[in-house]
Amino acid sequence: MKQGLEKKRLKEFFSKQILSSFEKNNFNFTDLDLLIDTNLLTERSGEQFKKTTLTYKDLLGKEISLRPDLTVSTAIKYIQEKKNKEEKYCYFGTAYRLDKKGNLKVFDQIGCEIINSNNKKSQINLINSVLKPIKKIKKLEVTIGDIGLFKILVNSLELPERWKFRLIKHFSRREYFEDLLKRLETNYDLNQQTIEVDTKRLKELKKMDKNQFIGGRTVFEIIQRFEKKLKDPRDNFKGKKNVKIIRDFLKINLPIDKAENAIRLFFFNHNLRNKDLAIYLKKISSVNDALGKKYTIYFKTNFGRNAEYYTGLVFLAYVLNKSKLIEIARGGEYDTLLKTLGYKKDIPAFGGAINLNQLINL
Amino acid sequence: MNKIKLGLPSKGRLKEDAINFFQSKRLIIKNSFGERNYFFNIEGKNEVEGIFLHAKEIIERINDGTLDMGVSGLDLLQEFPEVYSENVKIFQKLNFGFADLVVAVPKDWLDVQNMADLEEVSFEFREKYGRRMRVATKYPNLTETFFLSKGVSQFRVVASLGATESYPFTGSAELITDITSTGSTLKANNLRIVNDGNILKSSACLFVSKKFQKNNFLKNLK
Repeated sequence: MKQGLEKKRLKEFFSKQILSSFEKNNFNFTDLDLLIDTNLLTERSGEQFKKTTLTYKDLLGKEISLRPDLTVSTAIKYIQEKKNKEEKYCYFGTAYRLDKKGNLKVFDQIGCEIINSNNKKSQINLINSVLKPIKKIKKLEVTIGDIGLFKILVNSLELPERWKFRLIKHFSRREYFEDLLKRLETNYDLNQQTIEVDTKRLKELKKMDKNQFIGGRTVFEIIQRFEKKLKDPRDNFKGKKNVKIIRDFLKINLPIDKAENAIRLFFFNHNLRNKDLAIYLKKISSVNDALGKKYTIYFKTNFGRNAEYYTGLVFLAYVLNKSKLIEIARGGEYDTLLKTLGYKKDIPAFGGAINLNQLINL
Repeated sequence: MNKIKLGLPSKGRLKEDAINFFQSKRLIIKNSFGERNYFFNIEGKNEVEGIFLHAKEIIERINDGTLDMGVSGLDLLQEFPEVYSENVKIFQKLNFGFADLVVAVPKDWLDVQNMADLEEVSFEFREKYGRRMRVATKYPNLTETFFLSKGVSQFRVVASLGATESYPFTGSAELITDITSTGSTLKANNLRIVNDGNILKSSACLFVSKKFQKNNFLKNLK
């Protein structure tokens, strides 16, 4: 393990080299804010985000957090600078997160992001830009996944809409997702007795002004959701069978050149149909065409669940040291992040960063 | 010899029940310094020095070592950060002060039966109104942990100091979590408990500090 000054020198050396490589690929260096309005983070990810960020209150009671990663900071910058066209950013800075025990973990990240690009090749270009400076690392391997593919799978299953919604929303929260699968297996969902009592009350509600608010929700909203719930299948929706399909799907882990066929076959064998599947399979094959010969790449359906904001393609570059996985770089697609941080609409966005702390210890 | 420091709740039903509990163990609480004085003694037990405090403060003082033991609610201990449980130990669960901490929604929210419904509604709410649903509570930590464990992440806690049941109808919050023993106050305020929304079953407890766990005086209380 390297110490003190040596570490500092190595960080400076690598950061210069990597930033220069990013800039050669037309990424513009940007300075990012160290502090983030906590409200922006919690509005996006909910209260649990506070448990992983170092947060304090200012004298007026406003909560401020140290940036938990630099992707969020870049997205905020794009919004604050009122951009509306493609921007290619690169950055170097520190991110701060709390682990499960509340200990502060500090990461030096150097990365790049492409926001609002309509160029179909921009994702592959970015992965290439991030991998290029670390290409010479011995035994470097890359894992690719696609969160969108999981959504395609869930939407192809014969399941009530509310279950599809839950499974997709909580894909990134592994423990809770597992809990959901267990509930789905047993078809535990609605209480028939309560439904009968509430159906009587429904008649009274229907006589009320539909725009009247009850606890912040309109009578119309309540009635609409209640009726939708009643129409949604409650029993015998093959929970067990569907859970098995999901579990089997999440086991797919193959060299990328074999992934396209394996996934197509998986959908075919389970009689699942989705018109968008072809688009996703094409994405996998284009990653393979562009990068498959330069790197050892695996496609893993269970990968990319660590950050809630990822929506599509995700990647991780790593080395295995005595069966311990050392993460060197990671990134992915986050098309819905900017809107949740305050941008007027969803826009395509893709980024990746190299973990300098790991790199200098290799 | 250092005196044993005992804390009892300073008011209400909990105070009466705590005094009765000690009496049932033949430990008679005496207000030696007058009815309005906060200090008390135990008849024939000069080694004990007592003080009436707010139930929440009793846990704080056991945690910081000012008190050796005291009576308070389990809900109050659980609401403190986990690290408190390292210093404040439950010596005995007592047979009074029973109450549940529950999630309650307006009774007319027919579509919300369980926490899974709340999870869905909270996403829809944020989508529609551009903000998170607010949960009024006196127990922000327990509420936050419970909601997250049930998959409800799109919410914001609003600290309540009292009359929490009124919050959904004054526009200050959409739902609440609160302590209830019979559910009648919730019902009277047009609220209903969510089916799997029981956060904690609480009762009064005799708490002791970690250092005091093996003290001989505790034999009087078994």
